[in-house]
Amino acid sequence: MIYRIRAAVVPLAILFMLPVSQLWAQEANFRIQTSKGSTLEVFTQLDPVVINRIHSWELVLIGADNSPLTGAEISVIGGMPDHDHGLPTLPIVTRETSPGHYLLQGVRFHMPGRWQLTVTISSPQGDETGLLDFEL
Amino acid sequence: MKRFLIPGLFVIGLGAGIGWQLLPAPLPQAWTSQEAALIQSLSLSQLPALSPDLSNAVADNESAAKLGQLLYFDSRISGNGEVACATCHQPARYFTDGLSLAAGTALGPRHTPSLVGLSHSPWFYWDGRKDSQWAQALAPIEAGHEHNLDRLQVVRLIAKDRDYSERYAALFGELPSIPATPQSASPLGDAEATANWQRLSQAQQNDINQVFANLGKTIAAYQRKLLPGHSRFDEYADQVSSESGISGNDALTREEIAGLKLFIGDGQCISCHNGPLFTNFEFHNTGVLAVAGQLPPMGRYDGIRLAREDEFNCLSDYSDAEPEECIELRFAKDDNELVGAQKTPSLRNITETAPYMHGGQIADLTAVMQHYNDAPTSMLSHNEAKPLGLRAVQLSQLVAFMQTLTAPLNVDPKWLAAPSQ
Repeated sequence: MIYRIRAAVVPLAILFMLPVSQLWAQEANFRIQTSKGSTLEVFTQLDPVVINRIHSWELVLIGADNSPLTGAEISVIGGMPDHDHGLPTLPIVTRETSPGHYLLQGVRFHMPGRWQLTVTISSPQGDETGLLDFEL
Repeated sequence: MKRFLIPGLFVIGLGAGIGWQLLPAPLPQAWTSQEAALIQSLSLSQLPALSPDLSNAVADNESAAKLGQLLYFDSRISGNGEVACATCHQPARYFTDGLSLAAGTALGPRHTPSLVGLSHSPWFYWDGRKDSQWAQALAPIEAGHEHNLDRLQVVRLIAKDRDYSERYAALFGELPSIPATPQSASPLGDAEATANWQRLSQAQQNDINQVFANLGKTIAAYQRKLLPGHSRFDEYADQVSSESGISGNDALTREEIAGLKLFIGDGQCISCHNGPLFTNFEFHNTGVLAVAGQLPPMGRYDGIRLAREDEFNCLSDYSDAEPEECIELRFAKDDNELVGAQKTPSLRNITETAPYMHGGQIADLTAVMQHYNDAPTSMLSHNEAKPLGLRAVQLSQLVAFMQTLTAPLNVDPKWLAAPSQ
């Protein structure tokens, strides 16, 4: 259930809402369906994502009814299944920058290889999870 | 004939065993595209420019670097007048000292790490208990086994030295008035120094701390000049592609190339020793024995707690950063994975910086490779590394590859010795 989106174009207006550099991805780096059918798109501050650099992600949540999922509590945990260790940092969603758009700060990867992140979302729609699985 | 059978089989078996250990496997004709990408990622050509240190307003100021250089080589900044930063971090030894354990005014508990390229790290000390190079630079001055001075004495030395006080004033404004007594005072000193510190007013303490912090910032500005140079490996890596042959240029020998292949492959070294500085600057428990006579250290598990408590951290009054800019400290993790974890050192110039590990426990690179091949059980928590099962010849190839990472520093020679004022 993991997809990489190749052609999703994000309105520039979204980018201006964030404390961004020009490096922010303008197309979603990841797009997945959650366990409740919501869509989670990830736009990374570093594009492409490279190891050893701390950066932020924008998480865009669209509910199963196609409207922005607002007021969600989001946590992100993960690690490298082949190395049996977690992330080197503790990334935290620090704010919802606009309806359905969340700023995840403190992301860093410190090894090349396969990473898995679990995104847990609690919202008025209930609890749901999504899995990101990718190689760096 | 029968009487020769068993000895004969024994000799053949012994020969096969020795051959298995010592005969190199043939190299493939070309790198795969994934291998080529990994090799390119290690090249110094890929090293980004130093990130600004937002907690240090003079990090990239030349005058600050000059003052920092003067302080770096000044042995008056020590309790016995004999120890400078350069005593342990010696330019001629790639800013290390060749000793297992650092020897300042007394023998310390840790091995002296190289300073080359260290400004790229978000964390300092083997356990990462400092979150900036300027905060790190302050701690040895007051450590009893290193410089064994205290912050009031340091500030007074600056005030009494006309050249220092003029250089300081040009950067930070006039020095505040320093109390004539007591002789020594610090919140970290001995009983007398700490008692003296408590008797100072809050304003006096703040003034002394601010000058002390500013001096650390100049030393950090100097250390930011210490960058590694382009090595034979970089020459090779910059010409590698999946189309080029594996021995496409003469920069490396076949043995060294075989070591590189192991480094990015079966040796798994690149898991932690990655990027152009051959380090992820993160913390890992690799089952290194504690230094004889010491308890196994808690490593980063304690280090991150100390960094959060540090009076000179990025969030402190003495930092030039806004709180929201202290990204590393705000999003650092502290969990049980970090028990016994020490910071990955750079492998740049590693042949010149023996002995190895946080306590200098391992004397040479051959023994280091054997350590990772064995991956012994950790004394504390668990060893992240797993036994590799590499053959003797492969360990030799890895050691050979390490030779390719040594090069003269990419530093203007004027920074490599005590300045002449």
